[in-house]
Amino acid sequence: MELIKDILYNTDKILKDFYNWAYKLWSSFNLPFFILDIVFYLLITLAVAAFLVFNALFIIYYDRKVAAKFQVRYGPNRVGYKGILQTVADTIKLLIKEDINADKVDKIVFFLAPFLVFIPSFLVFLVIPFGKGLIPADLNIGILYVLAITGLSVLGILSAGWASNNKYSLIGGMRSAAQIISYEIPMVLVILSVLLLSGSLKMGDIINAQSSISKWFIFVQPIGFILFLIAGNAEINRAPFDLPEAESELVSGFITEYSAMKFAFFFLAEYTNLFLTSAIATTLFLGGWQGPFLPPFVWFIIKTYLVITLLMWFRWTFPRIRVDHLMEFSWKYLTPIAFVNLIATAILVKFI
Amino acid sequence: MIKYIKNIITGIISLCEGLSVTLKHVFRKPITLQYPEQKPDLQLRYRGRLVMPVDPEKNDIRCTACMICAKVCPNHSILEIEKVIEDGKPKPKAKKYIYNLGTCMFCNLCVEACPFAAIIMSDEYALANEDKEKLILELVSEKYNLTGKKLNWWKSKFKDETINKEKVQK
Repeated sequence: MELIKDILYNTDKILKDFYNWAYKLWSSFNLPFFILDIVFYLLITLAVAAFLVFNALFIIYYDRKVAAKFQVRYGPNRVGYKGILQTVADTIKLLIKEDINADKVDKIVFFLAPFLVFIPSFLVFLVIPFGKGLIPADLNIGILYVLAITGLSVLGILSAGWASNNKYSLIGGMRSAAQIISYEIPMVLVILSVLLLSGSLKMGDIINAQSSISKWFIFVQPIGFILFLIAGNAEINRAPFDLPEAESELVSGFITEYSAMKFAFFFLAEYTNLFLTSAIATTLFLGGWQGPFLPPFVWFIIKTYLVITLLMWFRWTFPRIRVDHLMEFSWKYLTPIAFVNLIATAILVKFI
Repeated sequence: MIKYIKNIITGIISLCEGLSVTLKHVFRKPITLQYPEQKPDLQLRYRGRLVMPVDPEKNDIRCTACMICAKVCPNHSILEIEKVIEDGKPKPKAKKYIYNLGTCMFCNLCVEACPFAAIIMSDEYALANEDKEKLILELVSEKYNLTGKKLNWWKSKFKDETINKEKVQK
């Protein structure tokens, strides 16, 4: 009983004890220690990868259910209990489909692009605090790392658009590059104003700075939270900012030529990015894994899914905006507001 | 500058309006019909396949084999109508009524042309079949029974006519 309670509520202590125990056991064998470390890193990677895949499967199901709710229908309800196995069936279908390579694609880049899109979103999981001590590595530069790595995904999208040798894909990739670069700025400015309050780039410190509900940064930075949601939504190319894959204009944007497993990778990356944006919003504004009664991990998941639901609500409400409006919105509205927000925060932090 | 701030405020208000509209829809009951389990409630005038129902008062069909329906059919879907023969004389009553569902386009002209309301479009709709032969139907021996609303509707069609006839005779 004690052990279960400790595993749920004091995960950091249990993990530390387990690591020390393994370390002692290993030293009795007189083997080099880096092997043990590598085994631990591999275990963590496996755990994160497993979480990522099952989570993406669930988010797709959840997205379809929420979409159905907004459109006054039931959504998937035939495969498994209430359609819970629908995405599993879809994934199996995608896995066994023929992988079609178009004739004139740039073969190497075309093959690499899905991985280039997916790898950054996988790497960001390194600094996502799932719970007390449940963080693969609490880097000193945590949030900076997130920004640096998510910026890389534009490379994958752009190369997917370029390698497809297709005008729709190319336009999609170009749009995505322009969009991600211009929405990065308000996002960074908002994160900066949060960092002014927390005083550290470390994820653990940011969460510790929000130790009680009244200290959550959403109440200190309400405008910042909204700006972060808008910019984050644009960063992950979701409606109403889904211009890179606008169905009515560009067929399917940079994913047009992809099929089977590669297509599945794009989708996996998209839904993982959705989870990541919500997870970072939770960490920065909603106090991370902190909360009464329930275990930290559960609180983290609940909060993250709340933010995901909010983003889905936006998705099924707002129509896609036009390209020039997209740029205008970022440069003329979001960036100045974020600047004003940052300056106001700086002044308040300095004098109060 | 004032215009700029005004723009932002009107933008936020209109976005919130949109959000409230979609939020209202979340709490509505889904309007989806779970088809194989739930059947749709069809309209009375729905055109399914052609049937020759049994009149429950006479306990017999109403067809007199006058051939008007066969003549009016644009696709020649009503292939053959045979009269009952008693004592070597043909009587005004159908013995055989062969109808080809495969070529029928559900135009309802035969039903409208029928002076005795002997035939009607039923509400059977899942009519696909793997064998062409099975689409050629014999309607008289089928003894189709209408039920519910559709029966009442069908009855009202020829009852009005009989009332009209009585009026004319008077």
